[in-house]
Amino acid sequence: MSRTMIGAQNLTAAYGATLALQGVNLSVEKGEIFGLLGPNGAGKSTLLACLEGLHKPIQGSVQVGGINVAVDPTATKRQLGIQLQRTALMDDLTVAELLEVYAALYEVYLTSSQINALLERFDLGEKRNTLARRLSGGQQQRLALAVAIANDPQIVLLDEPTSALDPHARRAVWDIVRQLHDEGRTVILTTHAMEEAEALCGRIAIIDRGQIVACDTPATLIASLQLNSMLKATVELPLDQVCSLPEVSHARYTGQHLEVETARPEVTLSALHELAARSGRSIRDVMLRQPNLEDVFLKLTGHALAESNPSA
Amino acid sequence: MKRFLILTKAMSLMHLRNGYVLFWNFAFPVLLMLIYGAVMSQYMNYMTPGVIVLNALSFGLVSSSTMMLEMREKSVLRRLQATPLPAVQLIGSYLLVNVIIGVLQSTLIILTGVVLYDLPVTAASLFLAYPMILAGLLAFMALGGIISGMAAKAGTASAVGMTIYFSLMFISDMVFPLDMLPEWLRKIVPYLPAYPVVQLVRSAMLEATLDPKWLTHLFLLVVYGVGATLIAARLFRWEPKA
Repeated sequence: MSRTMIGAQNLTAAYGATLALQGVNLSVEKGEIFGLLGPNGAGKSTLLACLEGLHKPIQGSVQVGGINVAVDPTATKRQLGIQLQRTALMDDLTVAELLEVYAALYEVYLTSSQINALLERFDLGEKRNTLARRLSGGQQQRLALAVAIANDPQIVLLDEPTSALDPHARRAVWDIVRQLHDEGRTVILTTHAMEEAEALCGRIAIIDRGQIVACDTPATLIASLQLNSMLKATVELPLDQVCSLPEVSHARYTGQHLEVETARPEVTLSALHELAARSGRSIRDVMLRQPNLEDVFLKLTGHALAESNPSA
Repeated sequence: MKRFLILTKAMSLMHLRNGYVLFWNFAFPVLLMLIYGAVMSQYMNYMTPGVIVLNALSFGLVSSSTMMLEMREKSVLRRLQATPLPAVQLIGSYLLVNVIIGVLQSTLIILTGVVLYDLPVTAASLFLAYPMILAGLLAFMALGGIISGMAAKAGTASAVGMTIYFSLMFISDMVFPLDMLPEWLRKIVPYLPAYPVVQLVRSAMLEATLDPKWLTHLFLLVVYGVGATLIAARLFRWEPKA
């Protein structure tokens, strides 16, 4: 039987007069990797802060491991492993000292060999006695993750664990998250990268302007909107003319790439060629792709994931 | 208890590894003594207790908050707030480390006085002086806590702290005798936080006796210390002001 590890009902939170979350409902089961996907300023971090007991909601309730955060914050904090968006560790301490201290704050006392094992696992074995501030960005991020599980938590909350990491370091973090999942831990992570959400998460909540606009598995989200295939090409043509081509349901530019949503790509493509020939333009880099979470997001919110909220 | 000890060890290491903290906490007090000694070596008996309080004042109002403000600005405090650690233990551990630093600073100043300027201290005078220094340190640190609670940034806190420090330094009988002040100011000064500490420490260190008005002085310090602690606790913030 599945067990609800994180629950939120009608959660509303604000900073001053600005609403950051509006009526959010959430239920995360044991062993899930659950993604909160949304642009910067959508409310992802605020939602985590409410779960972590760092932000008091103005309405609604939150439970961690079945315990109400407002009633017993110490008990709920005890069950969580946390990584904040800013690494925010005491960086005048060495890597090993940090693990010892953060575990101790949860009244978990690590032996030297336990610390070594944890460091090996996060590929930080050689950095045992290095001051945290002397680590590279990727190493600091891995350290933050090691610190997050130093107290052996059942629930791990990761706020943008891969932002500002190079692709290699990002893969390393993905592997770590999958390991946490394999150990039976429940992981909630925030991201504004849809490929990350697709690659890692069993279920995703799409957050926009403080509200959860959809919540399901990535495949179901994509399938449920019955999106058509996407035709991608590098060409400069007026959007209104592209939109009036046969079978086109939507068209937009991302950078210099034209993206066309079409029910019948072959028909649209030949029409596009004709249009380009008439306008004296050439088409390059034609590509057909399946719809992804980016398209789901666009469809549901009317704006692209990469854009920030105008209010943020 | 084990948690508190591990945390306190970490806090101590953070202070000891910070070059800025090390200089201002340990090199600066000795430098102060050398400067005063170079200018007025024949008055060092009068000056040394003054330098101890002057140093305790700058430490309490400014330096003792430095690391806390830095942790607040770098979101370290917020990260700690997310753990089950009770706030009382965090602040208790931080204060403990800083009180120890404050006492060590005073010891450095006394040692410099004894070695270089034949400061006539005895076991009895030190036995009486240390509790007075400690009382002053605690009151000053509590006042520093109000400043860091109110200031949005570390820079603002240190500017405000330094302004108060300099004002009190000139009028509290630390390095300039009280009779250099205008009549009206002389009436106010005894009720300000630094003057009572200077009187208590000076008579303890030089004469191994309690100042005639020691009860009034200590009472004032307790009022400042407890009052400031209550206000500082209310103003304490885990995050920088938005």
